[in-house]
Amino acid sequence: MDLSTVLLVSLAGSIAAPFVVARTGAAGGWIAAALPAALFAYFFAQIGAVGVAPIVDVVSWVPSLGIDLTFRLDGFSLLFALLITGIGTFVTLYASSYMSGKPPFARAQFLFYILMFMTAMLATVSADNLVSLFVFWEMTSLLSFLLVGFQSEDEKARKAALQSLLVTAGGGLALLAGIILIGVEAGTFSLAAITANPAPVLESPLLPAIVACVLIGAFTKSAQFPFHFWLPNAMKAPTPASAYLHSATMVKLGVYLLARLDPVFAGAPWVGATLVAFGGLTMLIAAVQALRAIELKAVLAYSTVASLGTLVMLIGLDGPVSSVAVVGFILAHALYKATLFFCAGIVIHATHETRLRALGGLAKLLPLTAAATVLASFSMAGLPPFIGFISKEYLFEAKLESSLDTIAVIIGVLVNAVMVAVAGVLALKPFFGRAKKPFEVEHGEQPGMIVGPILLAVTGVAFGLVPSLVAYALITPAAIAIAGAPFEVSFKLWHGFTPMLALSGLVVALGVTLAWFWDPIHVALRRRRAFDEVFLDRGYDLVLDRTMALARWSTKVLQNGDLRIYAAVVSASVTGLLAYGLLVGEGPLLPAVAGEPVRPYLLVVCALIVAGCVVAAAVPSLVSAIVAVGLSGYGLALVFLLNGGPDLALTQFSVETLFVVIVMAVLLKLPIVARSSRTRGERWLDGAVSAAFAACVLVATLWIAAKPFNPELTEYFAVTSVPEGFGRNVVNVILVDFRALDTFGEIAVVAFAALGAWALLRTGASAKRPRKEV
Amino acid sequence: MRSLILTAVARIFFAIMLAGSVWVLLRGHNEPGGGFIGGLVGAAGFATLMLAAGVETARRTLVLHPVVVMGLGLALAFVSGVPGIVTDASFLTHQWGSLAGVKLGTTIVFDLGVYMVVVGGVLSFMFRLYEEDPA
Repeated sequence: MDLSTVLLVSLAGSIAAPFVVARTGAAGGWIAAALPAALFAYFFAQIGAVGVAPIVDVVSWVPSLGIDLTFRLDGFSLLFALLITGIGTFVTLYASSYMSGKPPFARAQFLFYILMFMTAMLATVSADNLVSLFVFWEMTSLLSFLLVGFQSEDEKARKAALQSLLVTAGGGLALLAGIILIGVEAGTFSLAAITANPAPVLESPLLPAIVACVLIGAFTKSAQFPFHFWLPNAMKAPTPASAYLHSATMVKLGVYLLARLDPVFAGAPWVGATLVAFGGLTMLIAAVQALRAIELKAVLAYSTVASLGTLVMLIGLDGPVSSVAVVGFILAHALYKATLFFCAGIVIHATHETRLRALGGLAKLLPLTAAATVLASFSMAGLPPFIGFISKEYLFEAKLESSLDTIAVIIGVLVNAVMVAVAGVLALKPFFGRAKKPFEVEHGEQPGMIVGPILLAVTGVAFGLVPSLVAYALITPAAIAIAGAPFEVSFKLWHGFTPMLALSGLVVALGVTLAWFWDPIHVALRRRRAFDEVFLDRGYDLVLDRTMALARWSTKVLQNGDLRIYAAVVSASVTGLLAYGLLVGEGPLLPAVAGEPVRPYLLVVCALIVAGCVVAAAVPSLVSAIVAVGLSGYGLALVFLLNGGPDLALTQFSVETLFVVIVMAVLLKLPIVARSSRTRGERWLDGAVSAAFAACVLVATLWIAAKPFNPELTEYFAVTSVPEGFGRNVVNVILVDFRALDTFGEIAVVAFAALGAWALLRTGASAKRPRKEV
Repeated sequence: MRSLILTAVARIFFAIMLAGSVWVLLRGHNEPGGGFIGGLVGAAGFATLMLAAGVETARRTLVLHPVVVMGLGLALAFVSGVPGIVTDASFLTHQWGSLAGVKLGTTIVFDLGVYMVVVGGVLSFMFRLYEEDPA
């Protein structure tokens, strides 16, 4: 089966699933989970093939622009695809259990978002064409907006959803700019081709702009400083969605893209240093905030931010080990973070308590959850024999091998110590600590909810104990895919007594100390309000407030409801631009135009037009002014007719006629005897603006007339009109045939404008006389 | 402002203008005219009827709501491009055939769509503007 077919199946399944779920009740979740499970099976079956060579599938989309739906599955994409579908299966199961109390429509809707999100993620990580990657990338942003804001009755959820959309989609725009620049410089949008030959991008003078745009896109998506604030807020999403967003999917996309482009940017060392700096800063901020966080999910969210910082830092480090470390850490993190979110969800679901410090003594009530949490958090703490341990060893090895070792190692030790503490507190306190109040468990551990965390946690242990399960099948192809060149990978549990092991020991010792003194540290840090100022979304609020203030100000000044001001502002701006263009342009301001002699009857018509204009500007009466404008209009139509433009003339005549009818209608609604609203001075000002505009247009027209006429298009249309468009009226043939899409767009604009006017008049009318339709 | 003569003549005027607008629409491909101009003339015809016999009469004569006419026109223009996708894999590439010796193409469907959008668009707010307003 082609990759594109698989993605289509995924799409069709996502659309069909909610209908199934809405009709089947409790069992619906298990049926819906069949979709991600089947996809997982498909990707699992591709492991062997991908290990030999990437699977490529090209679907033509816009070949003339080099934009195709090229899907390419290599080791790195495969790792992501397996995580997305594997964890997606459990998320689907978990979600239908978690939402079982909700009405069927809400359940179906949520599942639809989750599955669509999975499809978008799969498409993003398998897209090879950067433009199509961007399209899917933005789809994930949109879907995560819907997921975060799912509980739309909660104002905080709406705010968080809007924030995540503004940040990630805004960053997406920067990414699009970066992608276009890359495409222009490299001459292709194919990721594989660009990484195979990075020279054109690297040597481009636009490289700093490219890097800046791509980094903004990746940093916003992966919640790096200074965009780190949206991710913890996004935990307002229902827990299954947080588990998915945080563990395997969207927030890792930024990391994914950076890793993909690493072979390109490796040629510019300052890019790596930038990544290390931002990654390190993100890690430190997240570590402090994790210690300060009150709610269970917030602690997890900040630890996710710290992990993303770690990944960004790892990508920035040089040396081949870093790519192994990246891959290993992505796998380990996805396994334990999904488990922890699932378990947190079970705890919250069962106790309705979200604050970490209030929880305790749940091990007896939720034994399986407690077991899974302990396993996952030990993996997170990097204790042997979990996969988290192996990945952390690689993490340190990559840092030690890199040229930026000192800073990286110090930050790494500090932040990992906090992760150990977080893991310890998360695993122990809610389950084995003393409870502040006795809890009654409402639902217990439903099979749909517990199966995911148990399996994922056990997988974490299995991969740790027998690393060969993943070393050759997954880790090696993925690491080679992002390193860009093959190299020997050893991914095993025991490395002997190495500096890495010593660092691990130090981290655990520090972390245990931190966990021991968690309460006093937590309280002390919370008292420091300064952290709120620096680390939370004050900057975001400030930008948003200022933007709104600017909008209000400009509305007050420019959109004040006075049509005269609108017209004056628009005319004056256009006049200014035109005048500027004419003054700085080359050649004499008033060029001599050679051509036919002026025909006397045209002069008469022109005099008529000018007279109409002058009268319109001068008379105080509205009716006289309209008649005068009509005179100019008909005069213009005559000019068209006399110069061989019958189509234009016909149109102009019709428009003028309709204009008179419409204006009459407006006048019917206006008071019959009304004084002109303009003062004498205002009339002079309007006249001056109009005259200046006319002068500029006259000069511009002279310029155009002075240019030698290029008859190429005229001849082309004259020759091809009959044989290709079967019509002798060239204007009409162009409108309906050669440029039919333009015309289609224009009539759509006409339709929407008319619809808008109609709706406005309708509200005006219905406000006056309620409930009389048509 | 009802004039007996105008009311009496208006129906004839309306019929002539509507026929004229259709004629303008149909000849458009070879002579000056086409959907846009035809639509404007057609709208002017309805406007004449409206001024002479009242908005209600004009609305009844149009049968469909102007906004519906507009939407149908947009849909027609879109549909006219679909056969192009099938044959040339390119939207709005017009297809031609001949019926009883007369060359006919999907362009006429497209032009009819333009015509309807213009008629519906103009009339949608013109009717509203002229509506009797008791308030």
